[in-house]
Amino acid sequence: MDSRTRTTVGWVVTVLLAGVVIVGMVVGDSAPQDRVEALGSSIKCPVCQGEAIGDSPSETARAMMEIVEEKVAAGESDPQIVAYFTARYGDGILLDPPVAGRTLLVWLLPVLAVAGGIWMILSRKRKPVSAGVDRD
Amino acid sequence: MTATVGYLAIILAALASVGLVVQGLRGLGNGDRARAQHLQWPVYGLVGGATLAMIALEVGILTDDFSIEYIANNSATTTPFIFKVASAWAALEGSIVLWGLVLAAFVYTVYRGFARRSEPDRLGAGALAVMGIVSLYFFVLMATVSNPFSVCVEPASIGCLEGTHWPWADSLAALEGRGPNPLLQNHILMAVHPPMLYFGYVGMTVPFAFAMSALMLGAGGTEWLLRTRTWTLIAWGFLTAGIVLGGLWSYEVLGWGGYWAWDPVENASFMPWLIATAFLHSAVVQARRGMLQAWNFVLVIATFALTILGTFLTRSGVITSVHSFTQSPIGPALLWFLMVVLVASFGLFAARAHVVASSPRLDSLASREGVFLLNNLLLTVFAFVVLTGTLYPMFVEAFSGAQVGVGRPFFDRMAVPLSFGLLLAMGLGPVTPYRSAKSEVLWKRIRNPLRVALGVAALAVLLGYRTPWLVAFILAAVFVISVIVRQLYVTARTVSEKREISLPSAALRTMRNDPGYWGGQISHLGVALLALGIAFSANLTVEADITLTPGDTESVAGFDLTYVAPFTRQEPTRFVTGAQIEVARNGKVVSELEPRLNQYPTSTQSIATPEVDASWSGDLYVSLKSIDRQQVTLGVFWFPLIWLVWVGGFIAAAAVLWSRLVKKRSDEVSVEAEVSRDG
Repeated sequence: MDSRTRTTVGWVVTVLLAGVVIVGMVVGDSAPQDRVEALGSSIKCPVCQGEAIGDSPSETARAMMEIVEEKVAAGESDPQIVAYFTARYGDGILLDPPVAGRTLLVWLLPVLAVAGGIWMILSRKRKPVSAGVDRD
Repeated sequence: MTATVGYLAIILAALASVGLVVQGLRGLGNGDRARAQHLQWPVYGLVGGATLAMIALEVGILTDDFSIEYIANNSATTTPFIFKVASAWAALEGSIVLWGLVLAAFVYTVYRGFARRSEPDRLGAGALAVMGIVSLYFFVLMATVSNPFSVCVEPASIGCLEGTHWPWADSLAALEGRGPNPLLQNHILMAVHPPMLYFGYVGMTVPFAFAMSALMLGAGGTEWLLRTRTWTLIAWGFLTAGIVLGGLWSYEVLGWGGYWAWDPVENASFMPWLIATAFLHSAVVQARRGMLQAWNFVLVIATFALTILGTFLTRSGVITSVHSFTQSPIGPALLWFLMVVLVASFGLFAARAHVVASSPRLDSLASREGVFLLNNLLLTVFAFVVLTGTLYPMFVEAFSGAQVGVGRPFFDRMAVPLSFGLLLAMGLGPVTPYRSAKSEVLWKRIRNPLRVALGVAALAVLLGYRTPWLVAFILAAVFVISVIVRQLYVTARTVSEKREISLPSAALRTMRNDPGYWGGQISHLGVALLALGIAFSANLTVEADITLTPGDTESVAGFDLTYVAPFTRQEPTRFVTGAQIEVARNGKVVSELEPRLNQYPTSTQSIATPEVDASWSGDLYVSLKSIDRQQVTLGVFWFPLIWLVWVGGFIAAAAVLWSRLVKKRSDEVSVEAEVSRDG
């Protein structure tokens, strides 16, 4: 093969492989986790040391997991089930903080940090005096 | 007697620290005094005192001296030898003794380097003074609020109810000690994980001390950075190994089926790791291009402050977790120290801002420096996320009294894209030229690795692994690995042609010629494997709780688990209840597992010991959740390829040995070598 054909074949292979990967990722569902498990990992066991009810072997946690299972089986939605537990134990048992209210800031701060960091990097950059240096 | 000796040793170390501070500062101010003979005695006193204190503690433990409160409450006659030795650092007061000893060891190595210099070394003297301040703080802590040699005045039948501070007071020994916390005497890793972590934590004092000394001297250049390179790397290696061992311990002992839970104390060790990693990389940029001088000061201060914050979070009891065993006055003391460190070091930094030369600016974002900046951005944001997530609930509770929870789902959601970005930077960095990268050059270097990565990812998709993040991580990790392999291959091929040697020996020669750089690449390889392992276990773990009566069989992830029979046995330190489980695959018995619950006499809670059938394809992990006369409930997990996490983690940590043991003549040269050749 001469170098042109090789380059072309290289490109075709690259694009084909990329196509397979992208299609695979698009059709694949993210984490085929069942709802009970997902809920179990987002609610804190109130009597344990920072463990989720899905992880803790304690009796309280297992009883709560059974309630989760019953409610999922009964067709209740995730927010309903979460509301059931927060009504009893308070918002402190949510391991997944809502993007609102008191926990809004914990989501906003990282975004601000990224923005600040990018701004800092860009401000360190030499002004594009010579266009030749700056091209990528 | 033992207590008195130990306490006096602590006093000796504290006094020697004062001497070190005074003599070090005098050396910093006046070159004539910055010589070994002026600092020798304080250093020997510190090392001797710290060593003697640890020896006294161990002697007390091994001779079952229950007149010492700490020993009565943390060891017992029945404790096996290795756990006795480890119980010297398994609880609060003892762990500070270990901290002091490790710090003394680092002071000694710094002093050795200082003493070897023929010229007066003001920078080194100042650094020793700063280390003296830190060690003074910790030994005063031991002599006051965290005294490991308090003696017992009110013994209970097991353990000690009340001690008194002065070790020479009349003491009453308890008949039997309480033994270590059951969680901590359940696995051998407990003897190894804390010292590793402490070497990592305490080692970060060295670059910090040199940075502070450089600022005091008004020498903002690279000398402090180059001279501390070895310590920084070694501390980083220990920190990495300590964190990975902690994960392994959690996996082997806690029985919930995982190795990382974003527990506040795990976070406490992870934050300094992230910033130290950022520092290792930005130090290369400064050594090579003179950029980021101020930033390196910020990072090294932050790393040190985070190690103190980590100790505070671990040892103050502000957060409930398996690690904070106690409420104690050491909390406020550590918090004050943290404040002093932050105010003093940033104050000094601000006062000396003018000596930190204004760095050259970035020519182009598409350059090695640009990728290093991306790496630093991602690592510091990552550390910031972990910091906010960890402290947020405390702050909300302190200010509004309300309880909020920030846990695993939050951290996972943040960590996944950040880690993915870091992997990409790790793949691109080593092949991106400095100053300004031409796209043709870059493409030439990455096209084949990219194709390999796409090929493997496509294969994964065709095999049915289609979870988007899993595919993305396979792609990125394989890319990182193939970039490294390509670079080694291309360089080795040239070397082998020029020198007419075989390709493998040319590859070895390449790696030995530039140990700093290739050590880094080996470390990257380890991190890529680690990331793959985490991606697999996070996305493909099969988990089920099954309840069985004797004779029942249930199948999980292709394994048939049969409950044979329950068993109980009395061991010297614990009562064990377990279940015999026979595991079969396709009708053939592959293993017998005995997950257990251990009941320790001193604790009401029983501690699970899961059992793992490990193989190359993955681990079948069975933990006993509950057992009674009729039935047993088991937590069964299938972790595919989980060994990648341990192997990758250890490669990442051990790579430091390659950079430092395969050694060039002097530190300066290896730092030069740290920076990549373009291949």
